[in-house]
Amino acid sequence: MNPIFEEIKDAIVDGDEDLAIELAEKVVEEKIDPVQAVQLGFIKGIEEVGAAWTNGEAFLPDVMMAADAMKAGMDVLEAVLAAGEGEGTYEDKGKIVLGTVEGDIHDIGKNIVGALLTSAGFKVYDIGIDQKAEDFVAKADEVGAKIIAASSLLTTTMKSQKVLVEYLDDQNLRDTYKVIIGGGPTSKKWGEDIGADGWAETADEAVALCKQLLE
Amino acid sequence: MLPKFDILTDEQIDKIHNNSLKILQEIGVEFSYDPAIEVFKKHGQRVEGHRVFLDSDFVKKMVEKAPAQFTLHARNPEHNLICGGENIIYMPGYGAPFVYDADGGKRDATMADYDNFVKLAGASKNLHMTGGTVVEPTDVEDEIRHLKMAYSHIINSDKCFMGSSSGYEHAKDCIELTAVLHGGLDVIKEKPALICLVNSVTPLKYDDRMLGGLMAYAEAGQPMVIASLVMAGSTGPATLAGAMSLQNAEVLAGITLTQCINPGTPVVYGCTSALTDMSTGSLSIGNPENALFVSASAQFARFYGVPCRGGGGLSDAKTVDAQAGYESMMTLFAASSTGVNFVMHTAGILQYYMAMSYEKFMVDDEIAGMVLRYLKGFDCDSDEKMAYEVIEKVGPGGHFLTQKHTRKNFKTEFFRPALSDRQSFDSWSKDSLDTKQRAKLKWQEVLASYTPPELDPVIKEKVEAFIEKRSKELLK
Repeated sequence: MNPIFEEIKDAIVDGDEDLAIELAEKVVEEKIDPVQAVQLGFIKGIEEVGAAWTNGEAFLPDVMMAADAMKAGMDVLEAVLAAGEGEGTYEDKGKIVLGTVEGDIHDIGKNIVGALLTSAGFKVYDIGIDQKAEDFVAKADEVGAKIIAASSLLTTTMKSQKVLVEYLDDQNLRDTYKVIIGGGPTSKKWGEDIGADGWAETADEAVALCKQLLE
Repeated sequence: MLPKFDILTDEQIDKIHNNSLKILQEIGVEFSYDPAIEVFKKHGQRVEGHRVFLDSDFVKKMVEKAPAQFTLHARNPEHNLICGGENIIYMPGYGAPFVYDADGGKRDATMADYDNFVKLAGASKNLHMTGGTVVEPTDVEDEIRHLKMAYSHIINSDKCFMGSSSGYEHAKDCIELTAVLHGGLDVIKEKPALICLVNSVTPLKYDDRMLGGLMAYAEAGQPMVIASLVMAGSTGPATLAGAMSLQNAEVLAGITLTQCINPGTPVVYGCTSALTDMSTGSLSIGNPENALFVSASAQFARFYGVPCRGGGGLSDAKTVDAQAGYESMMTLFAASSTGVNFVMHTAGILQYYMAMSYEKFMVDDEIAGMVLRYLKGFDCDSDEKMAYEVIEKVGPGGHFLTQKHTRKNFKTEFFRPALSDRQSFDSWSKDSLDTKQRAKLKWQEVLASYTPPELDPVIKEKVEAFIEKRSKELLK
């Protein structure tokens, strides 16, 4: 096995974004098999962090920095992976569009959810804060996501989650995507009331919910 | 009153203060609201887009304009409150969207809950105000929620209360409604009667909604709490000194804006900074670090010469258990004994501001009573209090139970618990009720026997007419 895979794994576990990029660039330059780099490097690393998280040995900075490092490195490999280089193919566990709803600029909870989803093997497209329903849907359409995850921290912006579900209805896209919601003032009941496909109170529960929805 | 103790040395105050000023001058603060940007430009501050870089000397000069204390006026003057100095003001929790019931159930808060908590605060001997947004009444439309909430405070009690700061328009509605209650905008400009909470968005931002509220209150000369909640480890540095510097910078920026708009506007230095739980990302408030942030803030408020808001009966517990009790006692005690003047969230809060609980409210009310007694300290001012004569009279080996001195003094010297059980085991075990069960009986009893103080029918009519008119306009 090429020793660089182990180095990539360690870079992910250490949450070292710069090193992850540097190693990914080396993979491209030296024409090392990118699929192997993903499977034996990036995914091995994030799996190790994910396991430590589940055991209560890793904390949020560990997981979030690992997810950031993974994303940065994978972005470098994207072109060669898309070109079909390397042995076999790399498949993520599902694509998820994630964002904070219109009118709301809180993003920490959303970022935590994004990191844990990434560490669980999902490909997360984070569209940021204060996002309109159409922005969520446009991104989901562009990347072929199955799940749209919308966050809201304020009682005054929760209604934007409802707007998102209504927008999908209006566009006849309701069956195309699973919509999940979360955020401080939201509840299971609120999720049911607005016709979302799921609600999660914590980031861990959001991961479990996505796994269940994509089964 | 007990002397308030400091937790920071002068050198530590200096270091944090200078760190904050450097943050304001070099990094700057983002104000999303254009009218606020205009104000800073007019005062010669460097602005890039929506980011404002505040000159250190300018900040110091503006903060000095804020009064050290002010009186908040109630519709019943007996309930007027002085905010600042040695005074302490307690009130219910603020902003929780959920109610956790005694049986462990969780539900959306409603307007009926709102009225109940206002009444419980109105009835309490230990709570000085009925607060504001005592729960989020999720069964009332957003557009008119602020009016319904203000009405509940006006009608269910004659104590001071807080108004909405949710945008310029809602803030103005509450100010005008309070003016109707007190006899005009000029009257309340002279005698402030409504206070609101303005929060920064940490790190280093203020949003449109809050800035709109801030400008409305400043223009009307009504006081406001300018508060920052740094979640150390996520929205701020994981070191206490770093998080405190960040909080301090944000609060100073907000206070500076209020004094630019209307010099002398009463403001309260607000702190709700606490920790991020590093396993879940949740806010965590029932901890010693929160108590330290609050005590340091009280000291900073004294340093800047303004009143301080912080603390409360704060807990991360989900039910009224031992954790709820010990966390709440720690945070309320720390705030109260180190000089906080304005204590939002004194009663009712569970799970880091997410929920109110009736039972927790009664437990916190008891804690508040205990802390208020503690703050009164020793009274050594008279021979009567020194009790030499009665000690002489009883002499060695006697007892004091049948002395007039005892009968006269114990009622004022001793805190009398309303909730705690001091019975023998046998007496207690007849019902074996724990604190939560007793608290449940207690709040039901208090609500059943509470009669809201009457409001002058002429004023009541005017208040209701104002609300009806605005509701129609807002729901159009």
